[in-house]
Amino acid sequence: MEDEEESLSTSNPNQPNSDSDSETLDPALQKKHASMLERLANRHQTRLDSSLTRRSAESDSSSSPSFESTSSFLSHFADSKSSIEAQLAQCRLTPTSESAELKTRLDGISSSISDLEKFVAEKSYFLPSYEVRSSLKVISDLKQSLDSLSSELIPKKKFSFKNKAVKKNPVIDSKKEEEKEKAVEKIGKPEKIGFAIRESPGFRNKTGEVLVSQIKGSEVGEFTISDLDSCEVRLLGCIRVLFIHRLRNCKVYVGPVMGSILIEEVEGSVFVMASHQIRIHNAKASDFYLRVRSRPIIEDSSSVRFAPYCLSYEGIDGDLKEASLIEETGNWANVDDFRWLRAVQSPNWSILPENDRVGTVEITNSDS
Amino acid sequence: MGLLSIIRKIKKKEKEMRILMVGLDNSGKTTIVLKINGEDTSVISPTLGFNIKTITYQKYTLNIWDVGGQKTIRSYWRNYFEQTDGLVWVVDSSDLRRLDDCRMELDNLLKEERLSGASLLILANKQDIKGALTPGEIAKVLNLEAMDKTRHWEIVGCSAYTGEGLLEGFDWLVQDIASRIYVLD
Repeated sequence: MEDEEESLSTSNPNQPNSDSDSETLDPALQKKHASMLERLANRHQTRLDSSLTRRSAESDSSSSPSFESTSSFLSHFADSKSSIEAQLAQCRLTPTSESAELKTRLDGISSSISDLEKFVAEKSYFLPSYEVRSSLKVISDLKQSLDSLSSELIPKKKFSFKNKAVKKNPVIDSKKEEEKEKAVEKIGKPEKIGFAIRESPGFRNKTGEVLVSQIKGSEVGEFTISDLDSCEVRLLGCIRVLFIHRLRNCKVYVGPVMGSILIEEVEGSVFVMASHQIRIHNAKASDFYLRVRSRPIIEDSSSVRFAPYCLSYEGIDGDLKEASLIEETGNWANVDDFRWLRAVQSPNWSILPENDRVGTVEITNSDS
Repeated sequence: MGLLSIIRKIKKKEKEMRILMVGLDNSGKTTIVLKINGEDTSVISPTLGFNIKTITYQKYTLNIWDVGGQKTIRSYWRNYFEQTDGLVWVVDSSDLRRLDDCRMELDNLLKEERLSGASLLILANKQDIKGALTPGEIAKVLNLEAMDKTRHWEIVGCSAYTGEGLLEGFDWLVQDIASRIYVLD
């Protein structure tokens, strides 16, 4: 028997023998496509015809086969609906203190609702559109009552997510809202504290200082420079990622960054930096001396000027090589302004005229 | 209904999936797409607009829409919501300061009705960087446990730089979408 089959299939190898095997052949695939389209159209026509005749048969005798009939759908739908409603009511009447048990019960209801939804979707092709719409309405009502039930029974978890939507809804009474706000606070606070402890290496909250860091090898991943006023920052060595946030009147000199630099809210500052990617947001009246492998971008910035990288320290060439930033790509001048999506030059940035540029900046890791 | 059911069946035949990649800027969306496709990731500019990639993955064809994440263009995300089978939300796990922004944008996205049926994969990217939060911590910050119970979601730690975790994440996504759409196979 098996032999016979094999010989059969090898006797005409050109003919696609199963669905998936033929997909590599392009013309064959197209042919199949066309034929499938035809078949589908035919099938749809016959289905339409048969459902028409069935419907007329239904009207005079209600003994139509259960397969693909509206009335059988409706009765099945009604059964499921009342069973879900019963489960919901039971959950509401006999609240359990055990949250785990409650959760499994609610999850069970939720899955039976989605089963019902799937059932409607499967049968939707033969149902009158009114029935589809009304069934979907029933399902969304069921979902809503499940939602409100679960937020009643397991309050804390639901709240912080729903908070916004609830605020917009004026129908909710104020007492409930107050409770929710409290719950949000409860959830929100410990998180923040938890992350404040784990601060990444960096310089923060300083005024009028010279801040120097000598970075060795790949010990440092991310580095953060934030909330500085009138400071000079020197980073010698390679880092992976640099975050810069809220600087005023600062000078920032950094060695190669192997990943990306993200700059936000800086004013009146000078940056000398090399990186694979540079994004500049909310910068005002600042100069950027850059070497970038890709195109630097600015967003919501004004009066920012660009020039090529000009930093030097002992061993910088080795670091630049290690970070694949030894080559000058010229991308420092290819700035994309996300607030200026036109062909003409953006008014927000310009190239720093050569005689306004600082010369090569030499930095060492001493404080002088 | 007739045409729609035909289209549906053709889609089923070709096993196509439409996947939308979104997330804040600098989270690594484009790098992930290129890495998965085995392309060079050494020079990638911030995405001005969007990229589309068609990738054959297992026996499926993935149409991946990688949409730029800069603030200015986030409002255009909604133009890509229609008919999305899978949603990939990419998080920069090393960017602690903007995690609140990240949560807010994700919350807004999940309210969107047109995305309500899409499977959600959260990629906690940049796990290779020292100081990055673990996927578990990211899940807590984004409050994923409180998500609508009907949503299919998964969080996976990954590094677009080394490629670690990417296949695991996409395996889950493709399997989940397949089990929803192509149950009959």
